[in-house]
Amino acid sequence: MASIVVQQLGKSFRTKKKREGFAGSLKALVRPDYEDKTAVGSISFKVEQGETLAFLGPNGAGKSTTIKMLTGILHPTAGYAEVLGCCPWKERTKLSYGIGSVFGQKSQLWYHLPPIDTFELMSRIYELRRGDYLQRRDQLIERFELGPYLHTAVRKLSLGERMRCEIAAALLHRPQVLFLDEPTIGLDVVVKQRIRELIRELNREEGTTIFLTSHDAGDIERLCERAIVINYGRIVFDDRVELMKRRFLTHKTIRLVLEEEPERVELAGVSVLEQSGVRLALSVDTELTTIEAALSRIMARHRIVDVTVEDPPMESIITHMYGYSGKEELAT
Amino acid sequence: MLTADKGRLASISEYGRPGQLRRLLLFVWQCWKLNLAGAMEFRLSFLLTAGMMVINNVVWIVFWGLYFRRFPVLNGWELRDVMMLWAVAAGGFGVMATLFGNAPRIANLVATGQLDVYLSQPKPVLLHVLISRMSVSAIGDVLFALMIYAAFGDKSVAGIVKFALAMALSTLIFIFFTVISGCLAFWLGNTEGLSFQLFNALLTFTTYPTGIFRGLGKLVLFTVIPAGFISYLPIGLLRQVDVPFLLGAVAVTVLLCLGGVRLFYSGLRRYASGNMISLRR
Repeated sequence: MASIVVQQLGKSFRTKKKREGFAGSLKALVRPDYEDKTAVGSISFKVEQGETLAFLGPNGAGKSTTIKMLTGILHPTAGYAEVLGCCPWKERTKLSYGIGSVFGQKSQLWYHLPPIDTFELMSRIYELRRGDYLQRRDQLIERFELGPYLHTAVRKLSLGERMRCEIAAALLHRPQVLFLDEPTIGLDVVVKQRIRELIRELNREEGTTIFLTSHDAGDIERLCERAIVINYGRIVFDDRVELMKRRFLTHKTIRLVLEEEPERVELAGVSVLEQSGVRLALSVDTELTTIEAALSRIMARHRIVDVTVEDPPMESIITHMYGYSGKEELAT
Repeated sequence: MLTADKGRLASISEYGRPGQLRRLLLFVWQCWKLNLAGAMEFRLSFLLTAGMMVINNVVWIVFWGLYFRRFPVLNGWELRDVMMLWAVAAGGFGVMATLFGNAPRIANLVATGQLDVYLSQPKPVLLHVLISRMSVSAIGDVLFALMIYAAFGDKSVAGIVKFALAMALSTLIFIFFTVISGCLAFWLGNTEGLSFQLFNALLTFTTYPTGIFRGLGKLVLFTVIPAGFISYLPIGLLRQVDVPFLLGAVAVTVLLCLGGVRLFYSGLRRYASGNMISLRR
């Protein structure tokens, strides 16, 4: 059963265009010039219950706008969406009892008060039964290890501690769908890893559907089964994360340790990434040549002490996708 | 229906069960408690801010005291009426800014896209926005209003009821006029300055006796900037009940309430959010 269905959803904003400088400001004051900017073109997709979906795209691609339409914050200019049986912008109140949202840059915790106070308020906002609330709160405190700073004002918490509290606050009412908009932004590696584990556990144990936007390759690799890539307001990829790797994996890296220092490496489809003494890192374009062919040509010239073949990190796959798969797709 | 059943929503919530109003009031009460707790986090600043506002208002009272010692009647207004005017105006403003403290910030919240958190939670958005902030200095205004009433007001039961009604009308006019001026931001973009000027105009004119205005000035005070419906309350309700005025004041208050709510929710359809980093304080 689907948790989220999106049909040709679109959103455009009317924005004022202003030329540079003071003269531009004066001109805009007398005769303003407007343009319609499409934030989300016309996207359609479905998310099954219990799925973990990464919703990706470069800055300005329309990710946050889509999340805001699916949570009822923004009204679309075209199309339809349904989340847990509710049209988000028409049944916002009803829907919000079934979903949770964490916006990395918009806090729902009260800045000058400890997280426990915000939890108490959340129990009133979501009208939780007292017993259920206390049980759920204690469970989340234990799982997210919030005990030590539960009574410390939010302004005094580290970003990582605050984000754990944010996620716990969004989960108090046991939402069936959790929208996370860049939840690991600005966090260190250890905290990111812990937050990913917690979200993963939640998805496994409670069957919560996860809808995540992130620029962090680790979030996508370690958390999500499926990815949708959006660019220039259009979906340019919608499939399993594994397939995303395969489809966009046009390069592999060969790391070599040779017996002697190599001469210049000049092979078709192979470029040198790094060379330091007997160590050599090569990038192989698998559309032009094969790993086997590249290796056999190197072996014909040099004796190899050690060799490893690596996929490029998810980071570079995403960079690659953001780089070209936007306007071309939009034009077709 | 394309997705899972709506009936499964709110599994540990009492949403949809009887007692909705009680739960709404508990939410409002909790919000107010948190606002006050947040303000009291900085104890000395809290006491000083509220205390300074009382002193600030007392300066005006001294001014009017000196004036009435020299000229005992001003176009039919006596010292007691002016004191009641200050009690009703400062009290109405104080209650608004203490319990519904986000009202003057609506234009800013809209223009900078800070309504997202309220829109993602299941409580009436306007109410939730309004009660999510408390002005500490305004607590001083409320205390000042009560002190002035205790010193100069009619302490009979009828007097107290009339004062409570005057406070209610004044508070509602302040809240919803401010909401309406803030809602301009949905249509006109960043109207923070304009909305503030409108709010300030209302606040300023409520503290002057309506008796000193004539012609166009008086017309403005009973139409565009409805300060007259607050500043005439000491004469038209507290001194003696002037039925046509009272009915007019109630009607204007109801219109402002309905208009404010309607305008806010129509505006929400145009709300464009934003990417500003925001925290609740």
